[in-house]
Amino acid sequence: MTSTRLIQLSSSSYRDYLRTCLEDGGKFLGLYACRTGITCLVEGGSGSISALSCDTPDKKAPSIVDLAFNANWDEREAHDLYGIEFDGHQPLRPLVNHDSKLDTWTVRLEGEEPYQVAVGPIHAGIIESGHFRFHVVGDRILHLDPRLFYKHRGLEMAAESKHFKEAISYVGRACMACSVSNTLSYALACEDILGLQATNELSRTRTLLLELERIWNHLNDIGAVCAGVGMAAGNAIFGYLVEQVRRICEQVTGHRFMARSIQVGKSEIEVDGSTVEQVRTKLGEIRKLFESSWRDLVFNSTFQDRLTGVGIISQENAKLYGVVGPAGRASGLSRDNRSRDKSLLYRDFEVSMLKDPSGDVKSRFDQRELELNQAFDIVSALLEGDIASATCEVRRGPRTPDEQDCIDSDNSDTGRIGVGLVEGPRGSTLCAVELDGQIIKRVHLRSASFNNWQALAKCTIGNLLPDFPLINKSFELCYACVDR
Amino acid sequence: MIILLNNLRKIRKSENLMRPRKVRSLAVRHCDGGSCNGCEHELSLLSSPCYDFQRFGLSVVASPRHADVLVVTGSITVAMVDAIRRAYGAMPEPRKVVALGACALGDGVLGQDDRIIGRLDDILPVDMRIEGCPPTPEQIINGLTKLLEQA
Repeated sequence: MTSTRLIQLSSSSYRDYLRTCLEDGGKFLGLYACRTGITCLVEGGSGSISALSCDTPDKKAPSIVDLAFNANWDEREAHDLYGIEFDGHQPLRPLVNHDSKLDTWTVRLEGEEPYQVAVGPIHAGIIESGHFRFHVVGDRILHLDPRLFYKHRGLEMAAESKHFKEAISYVGRACMACSVSNTLSYALACEDILGLQATNELSRTRTLLLELERIWNHLNDIGAVCAGVGMAAGNAIFGYLVEQVRRICEQVTGHRFMARSIQVGKSEIEVDGSTVEQVRTKLGEIRKLFESSWRDLVFNSTFQDRLTGVGIISQENAKLYGVVGPAGRASGLSRDNRSRDKSLLYRDFEVSMLKDPSGDVKSRFDQRELELNQAFDIVSALLEGDIASATCEVRRGPRTPDEQDCIDSDNSDTGRIGVGLVEGPRGSTLCAVELDGQIIKRVHLRSASFNNWQALAKCTIGNLLPDFPLINKSFELCYACVDR
Repeated sequence: MIILLNNLRKIRKSENLMRPRKVRSLAVRHCDGGSCNGCEHELSLLSSPCYDFQRFGLSVVASPRHADVLVVTGSITVAMVDAIRRAYGAMPEPRKVVALGACALGDGVLGQDDRIIGRLDDILPVDMRIEGCPPTPEQIINGLTKLLEQA
C-alpha cells in the first residue's frame, strides 16, 4: 500500500482541489475535524489516498456536500464536535448533539393526512439504541429522520494524547461486531505512518480473522432477515450457526468476538497445526449445514415473497450515497476494498456479484450468500499448518514530523497521517490516524455503517412501515460503530 | 421448510440441553445504555437452540410494562439516562435491575467524562451484576436464573 499523502490547502482552494480529484475518478472516503481544521480523505483513481487538510482558524469551511453527497453526516458531526460552520450546508442539522426541538433535526410535517410515528431509542427487541421518526400516510412511509448517537461515548476524543499502542483499545471498544475490521484499519493506519509492512505470516493471520468476522456477521445478518419476516425456524438455525463460528473464534483467538486480537505491527496469536485442522473440519460442517438451510430458504416462496421489491436502492442512488459493502454490491457497485488491498492476503480477489442486482432486500440477502461462500473458501485455504506469532518489517524508516520528506509538490508530505482501509462485513471501514511522535493527535473511525445509514433512511421512502424492520435487517448496520 | 425443521430437530438432539426440574418465569426487558453491541449480540443468542433460555422460564418482552427485570448494558451515556430512567419507571413493582457486562458495572469503561456516566449504579438501584466483556450467553443465563431463585 502506498503511503497517505497529506496536502495542505487553504479554505479557498480546498473545494476546487477536491472537485478536480473527484473528476479524475477519485472517491470521497470521509471527512473529519480536529481542533485546528478539517481533513477530507479521497482515494485517487490509482488507489492512492490523499488527505486534503484545511486550517479553519475562524471555525469556517466551505461545504462539499454538493460534490460528495455522503459527506452530509461527516460535516454535521464535525459541526457538533468541533463547532465548524460549513458554508453552503443548509440547514446544518445537529447529529451528535441532541436538540429537543423537533424542527432542528427533522423535516417539518406538513398537510392534514401525514402523521409521525416515533420509535425508540429503546426498541421492542434486543436492539441497540436509536430513534426514528417516520412521516407516514396510512402504512406508507413518506420520509424518515433517523437520530443516532444515543451511544456516543466520545471514544475518539478520549483516545487523544494516548500512546498509539494504547489507543487501539478505544477503537476496539467502538463496536464488538466489527472489532477485527475496526482495529485492523487502525493498525494499518499506524503502520502506514510508521512505515511498516506486514510479513506474509502476519497478513495471513489478519486475513483469517477478518474473514472469520465476515462469516459470523453474514450468518447473523441472514438470520436477522429471517427474524425480520417472523420466520422463527430460519432465525433459530442461523443463531446456531453464529454460535458455532463464535466458538471457533474463541478457539483461535481466545475471545468469542476476537477482541484484542489485532495489534499494531505484530500478532501474538499462535495456534498449533492440529487445532487448525480441527477448526477447518468444524467450519466444513458449519458450511454444509448453512448450504442445506439456505437451499430451503431459497425454495420457500412465502419467505421469498416478502423480500422481493422491498427497500430498493437504485444504482444511481447507490452511487450518489456512495453505498458500500454487500449493500452497494447488491445495487450493482462492484467496489470491494479487498480487490485493491496489498497489505492482506487477497491476491487477485474479485468479489462475486449477482447476475441481476436490483438493490432490494432480496438482492442484499442473496449477495451475502455469495460473499459467505467466498469467505468460507478463503478461510479454508488459509487454514493450513500452524499459525505462528508474526511481525512487520520496516518498509522505510520511522519518521518524526521533522524528518518528513516531501514528494510530488511542496505542500505535500507523508508520515504524519496514516489511513487504513479494510473491507469489513458491512463494507468499507476507514481509520485515519494523526500522530505526534508516538502520541495520538487525532484518530477517526468511519465505518461502513456510518456511510450506509444515510442511504438506509432514503430507501425506506415509499415502503410500508411494517417492512421497515426487514429493510433495516437487510442492511444490519451497527449503531455502536456510528456513535463511537 | 422441511429441511430447516429437520436440521433443527437434529440440532436439538445433538445439543442435549438439560431441563430444569422446577420452572418459574421472569420477563426481561433489555435496554442498551451505550454498549459496543457485544452484550446485545450475546443476548440475542440466548434464544438460539444452543442455549434455549425459555426452558428456564426466561423471556424477552417488548415493553417495560410487561417486564420483571430491566437488563441494562453499556457505559450509560448521558444521552440514554432519561430513556433508561423512564423505562424503569414504567415497570410494575416488584422490579429488578441487572447490570450486564463490564461497562455497566463501571469496569474499564472508556470514553469522555462529559459523555458517559460510567456505571449503572449511579442512576438505578442494581440488584444483580453479570460480569464479562461481553458476558457469554452461559454467564447471562446463570445470572438471570440466580435472580429467579431469589424472587
